[in-house]
Amino acid sequence: MPATDAALIQKIIARDESALAALYDRYAGMLSSVLNRILRDTQAAEEILQDVFYQLWCNPSRFDPARGSLPGWLVVIARNRAISRLRRHNPAAGEEILENTVVMPFDLESSASQQQLLERVKGAMESLPAEQRAAIDLAYFSGMTHSEIAERTGDPLGTVKTRLRSALETLKRSLQSTMSGNP
Amino acid sequence: MSNGHPTREEDFDLYVLGALDGDEKLAIESHLASCADCARKLAAARGRVAALSFSAPRVAPPAAVKERLMRQVRAEAEGRGAEDRSIAERPARGEVTPRLDASRGSGGRWWLPILAPACAVLLIATLYLWRQNEQLAQQVNQFRSTMIAQQRELDETRSVAHMFEARDTLKVSLAPMPGMAKGEVKVMYNSKMGMLMYDGWIEPPPEDKSYQLWVVPMEGKPVSVGVLNPATSDSAHWMTKVPAGVEAKAFAVTLEPAGGMPQPTGPMVMEGST
Repeated sequence: MPATDAALIQKIIARDESALAALYDRYAGMLSSVLNRILRDTQAAEEILQDVFYQLWCNPSRFDPARGSLPGWLVVIARNRAISRLRRHNPAAGEEILENTVVMPFDLESSASQQQLLERVKGAMESLPAEQRAAIDLAYFSGMTHSEIAERTGDPLGTVKTRLRSALETLKRSLQSTMSGNP
Repeated sequence: MSNGHPTREEDFDLYVLGALDGDEKLAIESHLASCADCARKLAAARGRVAALSFSAPRVAPPAAVKERLMRQVRAEAEGRGAEDRSIAERPARGEVTPRLDASRGSGGRWWLPILAPACAVLLIATLYLWRQNEQLAQQVNQFRSTMIAQQRELDETRSVAHMFEARDTLKVSLAPMPGMAKGEVKVMYNSKMGMLMYDGWIEPPPEDKSYQLWVVPMEGKPVSVGVLNPATSDSAHWMTKVPAGVEAKAFAVTLEPAGGMPQPTGPMVMEGST
């Protein structure tokens, strides 16, 4: 049976390189996908991917398996860094999340469970009206605020706010049904 | 917001997403700093929003990154012994400064006029040191990025040399399909090494679309090499890892939804056979 994330983190704390390699194999695909989608630059995405795992190696005890989800934590760090680079922010801006907790009530330790969530999220995204999907895309993958999205799309600010809120409500309902095992 | 609490879960999601502007952002931030209940809701919102990453088209993690990472880790481990010794000689970070106790001594509060400026000096010194520490941390991050970039360049130079020397490296020119975007692309491909080199130019894709380069194998489904989003028609040159052992019969560029697709769905823009 494969080692749990918590067990692998303990091994990394004990400086076991094979544990880092195992976590890379488990989550690098997930991170690589989001980094490439945000940056659209293979080289920049690879640099951040390597650095996120290197940070995990250097500071494994900053992640507390009892308080949150490792894949969620890694995704948040990777996205913050990618958005910082995309928007030419201070590269250290994404560091603030290092001490924070990310609760993701999905088991993502197997590729099958990752595939299941992927299909659920993609299905939920596809079920959104095109304008809501575009607003979520601009906010999550381009790091845009309400007013920046309104400026980009030419839509009124209130409309953009409503679209994002409605989209998040739909996605939340869909993810809750995933957790409860409903189709 | 009710009594400062955000009233709906989506408020937390919007904050985590980074969508809130100005006052809305400040209001939630100032509340979160002092509310444990909302901090828990925020952690759940981070997880919900992180799940959005699964809507990105899947991209296989490059094996070269793992190799570089593990080399970096080994190099760090080798240098760790010396660093640990130097850290051990420094004072501990959480070391407590001896506390001044006002109940001691018998001279009343005569020392207050001295203590106040001393505290101010100490505060300024602390702020200065904190700032210095921040700058050093940034420098370390920059050095690390530079090291990764240099390591990458070295790896790529070696791989290019091997590809040029290898007899089984394919060199294929891709021709534009009639009526599609103009461009001129050449690829070098070595299936055993799992390496592909791209050289050429192509007109920028329409907004909300991306080009995607594929290896068309002798058997089985096309294998994605990567997504191309040229902003101009300038020439580009890059190299990437692809799954090794895929014998190619052709290479193709297709027009896909922005970010690319797991398999080709759009029209073929360029094509070249081996």
